[in-house]
Amino acid sequence: MEFDAAFTDAWVRRFAAVVASTEERLTDLDQRTGDGDFGVNLRAGLESALARLARRDPADRSARGPLDAAATAFLDDVGGTSGPLFGLLLTELAGAAADHGDVLTVRALADGTAAGLAAIQRVGDAEPGDKTLVDALAPAARALREAPAKTRPDVALAAAADAAWEGVRGTALFRARRGRASYLGDRASGIPDPGAVGVGLLFSAAVDITSLSLDDLLGGAEPASPAV
Amino acid sequence: MASYFATESLVPDALAGFARAHSDLVDLDAEHGFLTARRPAAGRRVALLSGGGSGHEPLHIGYVGAGMLDAACPGRIFASPHNRQIFQASCAVARDGGVLHIVKNYTGDRINFGIAAERLNRQGIRCARVLVDDDIASESESIAVGRRGMAGTVLVEKVLGAAADAGAGLDELVALGTRTSARCRSVSVASGAHNTPATGRPAFEVPAGMIEYGVGIHGERADRSLPVMPLAKLVEAMTADLVTALDPAPGATMIAMVNGLGSVTRMELYAVLGQFIAALTARGLVPGRTPVGEFVTALDMRGFSLTLLDADRETLALYDAPAHTAAWPSPATTLDRG
Repeated sequence: MEFDAAFTDAWVRRFAAVVASTEERLTDLDQRTGDGDFGVNLRAGLESALARLARRDPADRSARGPLDAAATAFLDDVGGTSGPLFGLLLTELAGAAADHGDVLTVRALADGTAAGLAAIQRVGDAEPGDKTLVDALAPAARALREAPAKTRPDVALAAAADAAWEGVRGTALFRARRGRASYLGDRASGIPDPGAVGVGLLFSAAVDITSLSLDDLLGGAEPASPAV
Repeated sequence: MASYFATESLVPDALAGFARAHSDLVDLDAEHGFLTARRPAAGRRVALLSGGGSGHEPLHIGYVGAGMLDAACPGRIFASPHNRQIFQASCAVARDGGVLHIVKNYTGDRINFGIAAERLNRQGIRCARVLVDDDIASESESIAVGRRGMAGTVLVEKVLGAAADAGAGLDELVALGTRTSARCRSVSVASGAHNTPATGRPAFEVPAGMIEYGVGIHGERADRSLPVMPLAKLVEAMTADLVTALDPAPGATMIAMVNGLGSVTRMELYAVLGQFIAALTARGLVPGRTPVGEFVTALDMRGFSLTLLDADRETLALYDAPAHTAAWPSPATTLDRG
C-alpha cells in the first residue's frame, strides 16, 4: 500500500465505521464521566468528514487531502470540545504529511502527532494523568517518535495503537482533574476517559486497514541487514 | 411562574434585533454568528475580540464599536461560542498586528478560544489572549480552572480598547490586559436566581430571608447563604472582601462599578453605589470613577455585583477615553477628573 491519499482516505473511512459501531458504548462512557455528548459529536464529525471526502478531487493523491477534509469537519461542523480537539490533531497530521512530500512517512506521523499533542495540551491545559485524551495521545506520540526512521508507517502505527490503548486503560485508574469529569471526583474512577478511547480507536483504525504479516509484527521495526 | 417573551430562536433573533437597532455601529454576519464594528478607530494595529455565552447582555455585543471591541461572538445561552465563530470573526477583523482575544475564565471559553487561536496561528495570523478572572468567590485551591470572569471583563475591554485605539501592539496589549485583570476583583450577591428559559423556573431556590453571597453569572450557586441584612451592612461586607483580595495602597484611586444582574432596579443600584462609595471612603480609598448600570447580566437574576479596579494614572486615562458602542455610557462626563 502507498501511504498517500489512498491510505489516509481509507483511514478516515475506517475510523468513521469504527465510531459508528461503537457510538453507544462511547455515549455510555461519557454519560458516566461527562455530559454524554461525546459519541454523538464524534460520529457527527465523521459523517461530515465522509461528506467532505466525497467532494474531494479524486486526482489529488496527496496524503494531506483526506486528513484536511476530516480536520475541517471536526473543527467547523461539530459542537462540544472533544471533536474540535480531534480536528487539531488531524490538522497537524495533514500539515506534517505535506512537509514530508505528501506521503505519510514515519517522521510525518511522529511530527504530526507530536504537534497535535502540543496543540491539544496548549488549548486544554491538560497534563498526562489528568484523565483526558492526552493520556492516550502522549504514549502514541512517544511510540512514533521512538520508531526507527526506516520503520514502515503501518508497523509504527501498530506500535502507536498499542501504546495508546495502554494509556486508555490507565485512565480508568485515576480521577479527573480537567474536563467535565473533574466535577465528579471519585465517582468517575474505574471508567476510562471517552476522549482517550476515541484516540485509541483512531490509531486502531489505521492498523485495521493495513495487512501486517506476522513477520512485520515480529521484526518489521528493524531492518534485517544494515542500512545502506 | 415567570416566563420569557421568547421563541426557540431567541439568541439569533436578539442578535438580529440588536444589529438593526445599532446599524450605525455594527454589522452582523448572520451566517457565522458574530458582530463587527462598522467604524473602528483608524489607528488600530491590533483587533480586539471577545465573546461568551448569551444571557449576559449587553456583554459582549453592546461593547462592539470604536474605542472597545472590533468583534463579538455570542454563544448559545450560557454556552461558549463555537471555535468556528471565533475563527471566522477573527479572520474578518484581524489587523497587521494580529488579533487579541479577551476571554472570561471558564473551561469552555478557554478551550474554544484556544482552538480558534491555534487555527489562526497556523494561518499566519498572530493571536494572543487576555484572561479575565475577577470573581473572588471562586478563588479556591480545589478549583483547578481558577477564578471566574465577571463584570470586570467590561473594564478590561474598555481599557484595552483605548490602548488599541492609540496604536498599541499585541504584546503591549497582552501585558496591559494581564496587569489590568490582575488589579480587578468582583463579588456578586443575589436574592433570587435567574429563571431557566427552557422551563421558566428558577435555576435554584433561595430560602426566604436569605441571600446568596458569591453567586456566579450562570446560575452557579454561591458557596454561602447569609441572612438578609441591611444594605449598608451587605455592601460593607462585599467591599471588605474586595479590598482584602486586592490589597490596594492607602489612598489608591479605584474604579468602583455597580452592576445589575438582570432584574434589580436602577433605583436600587444607585442606592448600592451610595453605600459602596461610603465603604470605600471610610477605608481611605478614592472612588475615582463610579460606573453604575447593567453591564454584565445573568438573564433575570435578582442580584448585583460590585467590582473594584485599582487604577493607576494610565488606566484612568484609558478608561476616560471616548468610546462609541451601544452599551458603554459614553462620552463619560469629565467633572472632577484629576
